[in-house]
Amino acid sequence: MNKTQHHMCMKNIFRNSFLMVSAVLLVTGCKKLDLAPSDRYTELTFWQSDMNVNNFLTNVYSNLYSSDRVIFNDAMSDNAHSKTAVSTQVDAIASGNFTIALERFRNEWSFYYQGIKKANIFLDNVDKNTTLPEATRNRMKGEARFIRAWHHFNLMKWWGDVPVLRSDISEDEAKEITRSPRAEVLQFVLDELDAAAAVLPNNTQYAAADRGRITKGAALALKARALLYEGNRMADVVTVCEQLMNDPSNGTFALAGNYNDLFSNANVNKNTNESILALQYVPQLRTWGENIDLVPISIGARTNNLSPTQELVNDYIMLNGKTINESGSGYDENNPYANRDPRLEATIVYDRYNWNEGGSPDQVIYIKPGSTPNGQNAANEYSAAGQGTSTGYYVRKFWDPSNPPGFNSGLNLHLIRWAEVLLMYAEAKASLGQMTEEVWNKTIRPLRERAGFTEASALNFPTSGDMMQIVRRERRAELALEGFRIDDIRRWRIAENVLNGYAHGARFGDPSVDNGYIRAQLRAFDPGKHYLWPIPPNERARNTNLTQNNGYEQ
Amino acid sequence: MKNAMQRSSLRLRGYALTGACAMYLLLLNVYPLQAQLAYSAPVKKYNYFQEKDYRITLQVKNEKLQSILDKIEKKSRFVFVYSNDEINTDQKVTFSVKDKELTDALAELLTPLRINYEMMKDKIILRPANKPNTPLAAGSSGAATTIEGAATAQQRADTLITGRVVDDKGLGLGNISVQLKGTAIGTTTNGEGNFTLRIPDDRKNGVLVVSSVGYIQQEVSITGSQLLAVTLVPDSKDLGEVVVVGYGTQRRISVTGAVDAVGRQAVEGRPVVNVSQALQGQSPNLIIQQNNFEPGQGMNINIRGLGTLGSNTPLVVIDGIPGGDLNLLNPNDIESVSVLKDAGTAAIYGSRSANGVILVTTRKGKKNAKPSVTYNGIYGIQSPRVTYEPVHAWENAYYKNESLANSGLPPAFTPEQIQEFARRGDGDWRVDNIVKDAAQQTHNISVTGGGANNTYMLSVGMMEQKNNFVGDYGYKRYNIRLNHSYDIGKLKLNTIMAYTKVDNTDHSFSAGTLLVDASRVPLYYSFRDSAGNYLTNPVSAQFNPKAILENGGYRKYDNDEIFGNITAEYQVFKDLKIRGVFGGTVRANQMRGRRMQLNFLPGGVYGDDREVRNENYKQLFTNVQLLAEYDKKIGDHDIKVLVGGTNESSKQQWSRMAFRFADPQLGIPTSESVFDPNNFGPDGTNADNGGRPATIETSLNSLLGRLAYSYNDKYFIEGNFRYDGSSNFLKANRWGFFPSVAAAWRFSEEMFMSYVKDYIGDFKLRASYGVLGNQNVDAYQYQTFFVNQQNAYAFGGNPATGAAFDLGNPNLTWEKAATFNVGIDASLLNRRLEVSFDYFDKTTRDILFTREDIPDLFGVGGSLPDYNVAKVRNRGWEIRASYNLPGKLISQTFSVNLADNLNELLQLTYGANERTVRKEEFELLRRVGHPITVYYGYKRDGYFQTPDDINKYPKFANSTVVPGDIKFSDRNGDGVINDQDKYILGNPFPRYTFGFTYTAAIKGFDVVLFIQGVGKRDAMIRGEQVEPFHFGYGGTMYRHQTDYWTPTNPDAKYPRLAEAGSASNTNNYRTGSDLYLFDASYVRLKNVQIGYTLPTAISSKAGIKKARLYLTGQNLVTLTKLSFLDPEITEFDNRTSFNAGANSARAYFLPVFYGFGLDLTF
Repeated sequence: MNKTQHHMCMKNIFRNSFLMVSAVLLVTGCKKLDLAPSDRYTELTFWQSDMNVNNFLTNVYSNLYSSDRVIFNDAMSDNAHSKTAVSTQVDAIASGNFTIALERFRNEWSFYYQGIKKANIFLDNVDKNTTLPEATRNRMKGEARFIRAWHHFNLMKWWGDVPVLRSDISEDEAKEITRSPRAEVLQFVLDELDAAAAVLPNNTQYAAADRGRITKGAALALKARALLYEGNRMADVVTVCEQLMNDPSNGTFALAGNYNDLFSNANVNKNTNESILALQYVPQLRTWGENIDLVPISIGARTNNLSPTQELVNDYIMLNGKTINESGSGYDENNPYANRDPRLEATIVYDRYNWNEGGSPDQVIYIKPGSTPNGQNAANEYSAAGQGTSTGYYVRKFWDPSNPPGFNSGLNLHLIRWAEVLLMYAEAKASLGQMTEEVWNKTIRPLRERAGFTEASALNFPTSGDMMQIVRRERRAELALEGFRIDDIRRWRIAENVLNGYAHGARFGDPSVDNGYIRAQLRAFDPGKHYLWPIPPNERARNTNLTQNNGYEQ
Repeated sequence: MKNAMQRSSLRLRGYALTGACAMYLLLLNVYPLQAQLAYSAPVKKYNYFQEKDYRITLQVKNEKLQSILDKIEKKSRFVFVYSNDEINTDQKVTFSVKDKELTDALAELLTPLRINYEMMKDKIILRPANKPNTPLAAGSSGAATTIEGAATAQQRADTLITGRVVDDKGLGLGNISVQLKGTAIGTTTNGEGNFTLRIPDDRKNGVLVVSSVGYIQQEVSITGSQLLAVTLVPDSKDLGEVVVVGYGTQRRISVTGAVDAVGRQAVEGRPVVNVSQALQGQSPNLIIQQNNFEPGQGMNINIRGLGTLGSNTPLVVIDGIPGGDLNLLNPNDIESVSVLKDAGTAAIYGSRSANGVILVTTRKGKKNAKPSVTYNGIYGIQSPRVTYEPVHAWENAYYKNESLANSGLPPAFTPEQIQEFARRGDGDWRVDNIVKDAAQQTHNISVTGGGANNTYMLSVGMMEQKNNFVGDYGYKRYNIRLNHSYDIGKLKLNTIMAYTKVDNTDHSFSAGTLLVDASRVPLYYSFRDSAGNYLTNPVSAQFNPKAILENGGYRKYDNDEIFGNITAEYQVFKDLKIRGVFGGTVRANQMRGRRMQLNFLPGGVYGDDREVRNENYKQLFTNVQLLAEYDKKIGDHDIKVLVGGTNESSKQQWSRMAFRFADPQLGIPTSESVFDPNNFGPDGTNADNGGRPATIETSLNSLLGRLAYSYNDKYFIEGNFRYDGSSNFLKANRWGFFPSVAAAWRFSEEMFMSYVKDYIGDFKLRASYGVLGNQNVDAYQYQTFFVNQQNAYAFGGNPATGAAFDLGNPNLTWEKAATFNVGIDASLLNRRLEVSFDYFDKTTRDILFTREDIPDLFGVGGSLPDYNVAKVRNRGWEIRASYNLPGKLISQTFSVNLADNLNELLQLTYGANERTVRKEEFELLRRVGHPITVYYGYKRDGYFQTPDDINKYPKFANSTVVPGDIKFSDRNGDGVINDQDKYILGNPFPRYTFGFTYTAAIKGFDVVLFIQGVGKRDAMIRGEQVEPFHFGYGGTMYRHQTDYWTPTNPDAKYPRLAEAGSASNTNNYRTGSDLYLFDASYVRLKNVQIGYTLPTAISSKAGIKKARLYLTGQNLVTLTKLSFLDPEITEFDNRTSFNAGANSARAYFLPVFYGFGLDLTF
């Protein structure tokens, strides 16, 4: 073969190869490689469906908060003690005896950021849907923005400076992002809540089927809470509270008629206008189960994991409005639960408490060691070693009288309620020195009336005493065991006073020690560092730009 | 030898040619015979010409022979002389020669037409090839042809030589070349192996060269005897041998990469139940392991060990179509298996080649062969190899008392009770009583043959392996296959249709649990009472395994597979072929399961949910290929080009339905029946499918190519590539390019090596490098899923459905394995000894694993997707040697292979260099610098023997030890045993795997021995087989545990007896130490065959061409240090993944097979 032939031949090869490849490309090029599973949604198909958008938002809600946070957080404060808080680890935090690697810190941090991711994914993608009305999408965005703000607010509450995530971030961004100064976080929270409030319906505008969704009122109330927690924004608190109290376009709110019903009466619990935001549950289908660790053992609890402290019990005033230590209060240390704020009985189970199941005969709860009559169940008695209470007190608040199997309750758990708004307003006014009879009659008085106080000395505007203390005590009693106390003692900067030394229980102990009041747990609070939690060390190892809070550097 | 090589290339690749006789081999088979017998002699034109080596170029397409002859006449000035009655000059012919000698050109033109020619001066005389003046041996089919092509000595008086060529088993061999040495005079044998050759008288003392592809060439002197008998011995390593490679075949000589060919001998006569089992030990570093031996179980297949943390399963390609299932193939249908090990050979499979490729080619018929009917059958009995034995009841009671006493507890049995046990004897609750001997049989009938234009191979086979468990369970497989080819001019069609049915009846429970319940009950108890009731006892209080096996229900698998492949090959012109392939598989599997309620005495119940279940799986797999092959030989330069494009698409669907509380007799729903809400997972996926979706679709588009160049069969260089686009990745990461280059040098061909070549043998050096891919990723994994969650939240008092997301990683991409291979092939001692050695070094990067460097604030908690983060290096070597020892009385072959591989984790993930996972007592560890997965725990350092020992020697904090308890090695010497003292205890993956085959043939007898084994493997085994009275769950001791520590047996194998919960037991048995580590190396006599082939003289009377009877046995002898568990069993899948269980000891027993077989050919 000569050179030319060879050349021709190679040319043929190439030409033929080229034709071949082209033919193959034609044949195979038709084969789609963008395949999506037919039995689950992917990003390619998900957002086009209205139902999916709704479902995703529901999923954002499902990450809003949790029952154990609502109920056990008070065990980090002087309101309660949790003796075997395996999962929540609130006992370790309350004791001050923890390492920065405590899993609760990591879990808490991770929980809020998981909630933020869900909200951000929703916000980043919702507009891919073109079939939902724009107004609906705007409302939904408002709900998601509230929840994103809620998580940032909680992060700021525990850690101060935290990374602010205004949209979904990538893995690499997560490794680099820095903590924003607390002020910036706050501003983000406030701005987001304003934006949410601007588009959200108020509580009367939602259809019945949407009850439980976030309202304009909820956004304003959370804004008030965020401002209140600052301590130096009281005038702003007043402004926001007044928007809620005076402008019906922001919602129609009222206290429920009965304090106990608010938590335990299914109808009131779910329908009262007092509830501004509540975790939504449905009997049997979506439930929470903390009661099994709260109520007296004889009622069917497996153990007690939240025991109210003597310190909390002591702060409930007398029916006559006086504190137990005030002269003329009528308080009897040997009959300590008589003539007390009726909210004590609605919240805490004490020795010889009359447990009302609703329907069946009352059961007397004997807690004092050795006091149970023969033939009755002595499991409720206080013992340093038993499954029962560690303080001599059990919990009544949150009790579900329908007594569902396994205590898995379908009652809602309130996150923001009208009473809190009234208390915020009262506190802001008091701290501004503007607590007047008019303000009192709009705030503390209706709360006490609803609680069951009847004596004028308890209901009327007090002419003496430390108004700040009165308001704070009112707040502690009204919101007891709902998770507010740990926030309050931190923002009031009194934690080093109330979280140092022993948390006490009822007077069943050695009379020579602490006047016989049980020592439930030794606590220590270092104001130099404990006002903020440590950034989880694992997190800092993975993102070296994250700085550590004071006192936790290693 | 050179001729042989060229012949093979001719035969299979249609090369340009120089050896005439090879030409005949090729063409005789291809073209039809059109002969007429009447003779008359019209004489054609005359022309004078004297040049002997006249050269001719001619190209005609579909022209009458007449016109071609005319053209040659014009060009050459020869005239053709022939009879029109004998020679059909109207037949149309396509013919092309370029610059060829006239004689060669004529041979090329006329031989296919079965026309002989003679040149006489200026004439060329044409005659039909099988004219009676060419004598044929008796019984000849007429297919044998005398070739007298060369223009030498034709006019002299001839001597007629006849003879027969047979293989080592005495069977006649067709198509064998018989050539008079030093001349071009030769012929080929017919289908029965007979040949006739007319040679010049003056050469009648010459030498005949008998040769064929795949056989060792023989030279036979022509002596006085004119009936020659020649026996050809197969030569698997013939340099002319053809090896199946990706999308084509290659001459063995031109192979540049690491490819092993396993032939039919791997399945012949062996009672193997599937192809995977047949391949074990046949190719070095083809590592096959099992989790248990229950019929129908799959196997772990690895080529060259572990290179990735994900799947290490090689790609299986059956008859050119990827994605086949070796377990569904009839082993008897296999012609050859090629194992592609390195980048040089595997890169053409691109993204799925990193784990190697197994290419299976099934048998085909031959052209111009009369139908040949073959029957192969094996029948035999499998015996379960029970490897452990509980102690007698009375002994057990005695040991239990000792264990209790050692733990400070009162005895459980009084001396009277123990005496009573001894007097009464043992109960029958032992594992031996839930297994039995069971039959296994295979029967295959095949018909092969072909006409002038077609070939066929029809085979029908059945295999039945009864289950060794009591009850009536077993696995049956039926195979039908039709491989058919047909030539239509330049178009060759090949169709393959195969159908497989699997019919497997399994018990309704887990084999592991049945075995453990049957084996850890002491012999105080029996399965049934005298009234026949099934019993339970305090150790197995819930279930009676014998009852479950005998009456507890079943799982019936009914699986079908249809495989089809249609290939059309078109010869565009001489050097270029285009091939289109459409192939695919349909699989439809069904499982019906039922659990029957069984009530035991005194308590316990099985199957009280009376579940009835139906599971379905369906897959459609299609593969379209369009390929072009260009082969060109120019002088000593040989160029081959292959380019092509393919698509592979698969769609799989699962479904499952079950209801509970069915009618106890009929298994149909009643009013109390409940539909099982867990049929599908909560997120709409099939719960039985590991949470993956119930529908999976994938598609792969590819371009591929190969360019091979060789010079003078001495230097070879080859490049392969594949460019793959997969639906498993996002568009931007979808396409991957996987190239390889390889080169080989037959250095013994160099001039300066002629001494070596002549006196020592052939040598070839090979090297290859390439980047292979691993598409080791689930479909859709790059996409974020949204899955519905019930009751995620509530609005308006009603529960609301949420849509959770399952984050994908859009950046997912291929794993890439950079693979280097170097090898040497040597052929020594006149090619009786063949040796190959390969060394490989493969580094796989971008291996999928989770990340540990992403902060939680990313927001998905612990459910991060997989990322391309890990890196593994895997190195090893393999050696193969075979030796043929022909002899007058006995001919023998020896072949051996040995291999090793060892991987090293170079990088685990971002943010972490190690990870451990606890497996009951011990741990599995992944740590950079060590093999992918290793066992992790404490090392023992003898026993505490004295109180002094106890004071001095380090212990766990707070542990109380006594003499007879284990001392653990204080690795860091800090005086206390804790986590810091753990060692890497062992590597669970086999090393130094080997196989050895010996065959011998003595007259009609033949012997095959096959030995397989593993030189090094560590196995951590826990449970009742190691710990006496295991953890309180087990109630027995086994014979092998009785060597325990006592003051008088201070060097015992096991520590002192003590109860679970005691300080001793906690120290000794709850601590993951090398107490649980065992040496699982073994040597196993896998197969022995002793056969006898009836002399043809006898068998032919019954119309049988060949009859062979043989005895065959499998797994006959095992040498191992691991006495109480089968050393072949592993708890791992083929990636030594963290998901492995820790209870490999509870595996179905190895069946030992004894049987006989019969091969008949008609």
